Amino acid sequence: MAEQGEPAEQSKTADEPKVSAAELKKRAKADKQARRAAQKEQEKAPAEVPPATNGAHQEHLTQAQGVQQDQKGKATQAKGQQQPKPSKQGGQEVRQERGGPSQPPNIPLRNKAASTAPSKKLPKKDNTVVELLSHLYPVQRRPNLAGVSKDVHPAVLALGLQISTYEICGSSARCVAMLLAFKEAIQAYTTPRDTSLPRHLVSHHLSPQIDYLRSCRPLAESMGNAIRWLKKLIVELDPDKPEHEAKDFVCEEIDRFVHERITVTDQAIAASAQDQIRNDSVVLTYAKSAIVEKTILQAHEQGTRFRVIVVDSRPLFEGKRLATSLMRAGLEAQYVPFSGLAHVVKDATLVLLGAHSMLSNGRLQSRVGTASVALRAHKADVPVIVCCESVKFSGKVALDSIVLNEIAPPEELLLSPIPEKSPNHPAGVATTAVTGKSAAPGKSAAPGKDASEDDEPAKLKTLHDWNSIPNLRLLNPMYDITPAEYIRMVICEYGSVPPSSVPVVHRLANEGM
Amino acid sequence: MPSSVVGQTPSLTTFLKSLKQNDIENSIELFISLLKRRQIKNSRPCAIATTHLLLRVVAEPKRKWDAQKLIARVRHVGRRLIAAQPREMAVGNIVRRVLGVIREVAERDEDPLTDSEISGSASPITGEFQRPALPTRFSEFSPLHGAAAMPHNMHSGRPGTADSMAMEFGGTPQRPALLSTNASYAGQGPPGTSLFSILQHPQGRSPMATPPPGTQSPVTGPSPSRRAIAGEIPEKLDIKAEVIDGIKELQDELDVVDNQIAESALDHIHSNEIILTHTSSQTVQKFLLTDARKRKFTLFHAEAYPNNHEATHATILNGAQGEDDSDERWKPLTSLGITVILIPDTAVFALMSRINKVILAPHAVLANGSLIAAAGASTIALAAKTHHVPVVVLSGVYKLSPVYPFDTDELIEYGDPSKVVPFEEAEFTDKVDIVNPLYDWVDCDLVDLYITNLGGHAPSYLYRIVADHYRMEDIDLNAKQDAVVKKG
Repeated sequence: MAEQGEPAEQSKTADEPKVSAAELKKRAKADKQARRAAQKEQEKAPAEVPPATNGAHQEHLTQAQGVQQDQKGKATQAKGQQQPKPSKQGGQEVRQERGGPSQPPNIPLRNKAASTAPSKKLPKKDNTVVELLSHLYPVQRRPNLAGVSKDVHPAVLALGLQISTYEICGSSARCVAMLLAFKEAIQAYTTPRDTSLPRHLVSHHLSPQIDYLRSCRPLAESMGNAIRWLKKLIVELDPDKPEHEAKDFVCEEIDRFVHERITVTDQAIAASAQDQIRNDSVVLTYAKSAIVEKTILQAHEQGTRFRVIVVDSRPLFEGKRLATSLMRAGLEAQYVPFSGLAHVVKDATLVLLGAHSMLSNGRLQSRVGTASVALRAHKADVPVIVCCESVKFSGKVALDSIVLNEIAPPEELLLSPIPEKSPNHPAGVATTAVTGKSAAPGKSAAPGKDASEDDEPAKLKTLHDWNSIPNLRLLNPMYDITPAEYIRMVICEYGSVPPSSVPVVHRLANEGM
Repeated sequence: MPSSVVGQTPSLTTFLKSLKQNDIENSIELFISLLKRRQIKNSRPCAIATTHLLLRVVAEPKRKWDAQKLIARVRHVGRRLIAAQPREMAVGNIVRRVLGVIREVAERDEDPLTDSEISGSASPITGEFQRPALPTRFSEFSPLHGAAAMPHNMHSGRPGTADSMAMEFGGTPQRPALLSTNASYAGQGPPGTSLFSILQHPQGRSPMATPPPGTQSPVTGPSPSRRAIAGEIPEKLDIKAEVIDGIKELQDELDVVDNQIAESALDHIHSNEIILTHTSSQTVQKFLLTDARKRKFTLFHAEAYPNNHEATHATILNGAQGEDDSDERWKPLTSLGITVILIPDTAVFALMSRINKVILAPHAVLANGSLIAAAGASTIALAAKTHHVPVVVLSGVYKLSPVYPFDTDELIEYGDPSKVVPFEEAEFTDKVDIVNPLYDWVDCDLVDLYITNLGGHAPSYLYRIVADHYRMEDIDLNAKQDAVVKKG
């Protein structure tokens, strides 16, 4: 292609010396845009007719090379070529106008694919997206490593998969794990020549890791703050520092960050919060927060006599893990499903909650269901205390739970069946990405409704068939926002503050002012 | 005798079938054991079973009842049934309704002449009824309270058909439609005061029709003198037959209650509303289906884990499948083009800011307007209150109980903890206390509207409906009964 272009070019340049550079640049620009549009189409319709695609590819390569190598004549020469000319022009027109019928044989196929691909996607999209929360789709989870950029370090790859399957769950845990994985990635990094570590590391090495993690699961607020801190740190490094020293420095700083802002902070918060637990208290908590667990265990070690109520919810059943660890520590624990909330709140004397993040308008973003717990406690005059490290404080604001949220895959709501309801039969297997679920033991996916009624001619649908029912959606939000008035106090390493002080602490801790 | 019960899980249908075969004592025992073992649960099946059982008790062949004996018998049976499962309030409600029926019939038979003494004595009746004095022999809570009318005043506020017939009979009040107390809210029937008409069902009257607004207890006191002429012996037959008719009307009411409630669906749900509901209640589904035929809305359906989620999923996916003889088949809402979004119970507060209405179905409604509903309902109601979202409760009058919630804890039933954590996890279930309440108490402040088969009411009005359907002396079934049927 390139060779074909050159001889033609020479003749052309001889013929049209007057074609100005500006015009050539314009043409080059048009070519580039056409190429980009064509590439987008190709990405959308990847399974399209290979010869046509290849042909177009080769054309594009030609054009690309043409522009890159020599601006002056190549583009025009590429245009001037007889063989690919009609197809290319047709292709360009088609791409630009999107729908004009074109004569050459390979283009219409690709065109059809391009135009039908979006319409095929729309009905599928409609079935899973809840319109109210359409800004939170598509759901980010990564079941495998297909299509990952080669720049991602193996430690980060592993971390991504662990996060995606809730092996590592919880805002602090994810933040620490991410920083540790980044340490490894940074150690494995070498600066290319011509550029320096501070300039290159962030944009070319860290960014792919971060993008990959984001594709596994949306980043937590703590992770966001940590990344901002890390980028700032790296960018402010002295470029003259030798590479290994710089890398060691960064790793040490990461260790210090984790130690100061998470490990030691947790201890401080636990010490402060456990003063709230007195003898004969009844502490109520929801789902599993590492720091609340720490507080409770420390208070127990101190010898305080109290009991704990753990409220749990579907589909993650994190509270069960908390209740198990408390039980193993010898605490008197009560475990209630979310429906039993009303019954237990009136027994509680203190509610301890963990946080995903604290927002600048004083609201708490935490596991979905926390808002109901806080509301009930507030109505029953039970104090609600949130334990939250400053690394989770955020500059964002939200008025309701729709604005900032994360939607988990709806498949997580599917259940394994209860044995007595139905015989096992091979319906589709639910892709439950959840560990630690207290589902009925090891049944293959089977209907939730007894399908053994012989008088029913049509097979009864189960929740696993939800995709086939056009108007049915499953919604599985992960977070909700608790209004500030239900929260009495937020305990962070800066002390015990009311929720209205969150933006002040955020400025202090995360923005360094 | 090979009973159809053998080989099937005991339930409402098997009980109803066995009623035809067994004698009364056995049936009572069977029902008590079903209640105790929770093989029959939820208000409607219990109410249906109780009515059938009481029908058999009253209709006991070769037994002549007089009022006191019948009342005593029904009270006795009722006490046993309620003791079997005190938290199934529908059972007690039906027993009290039947007792009310019996008392009505009994009072009608006694001293019919005193009706003529009714004149402008006692307290004035509310203007809308335009009736004069209350007869002193009716208690404040009697359904007949306010119902007695002077013949010449009777026709105000009534449609014309009543007038001519009444005039014909010398201005006597209408036919006592109180064969069952619920019929007191029925539309007017052709008046007739002869013995003959009392034994017949009136033509052209639907006892179940939702009364036109503004009309109330149309019935009057018993028919006067003619009855007394009829004599003693028919009186006993009357009681049995009339009470049986009353109970049959009660059964009819139970059959059509969902349809009556659904009649007001179009008034309450409009296009493009976002509704939130909870659990697999058939009443709610029928209500929404009636509306879905004409309007498009969105429904968020909370799944009520761990006690009701499978039934909820089945209802959303498949509609009703008509397994029980009494159930009909109906399609799921999704097949009518309604977008149904299944959410876990925890997401209720998160989404409440976008919800327009919450629709709940209770397990039982208490006399002050509060309700017992499936667990999770009070969380929903509280979230709705916070966001100022109206809460509508759909309930038939049979769920309305005259009990006041003095101790709300007592009213909550607890369920199987293995639904929360299966018993296979031995260490956990051993050391950790697992609680699984089945019901929640929702305060009357959190409810905005009750829709019953009689129409829509504010929670503050329910005490009046209680008063109209139950007698004060029946509220406590354990109290000693006076020898004479109370008159006031």
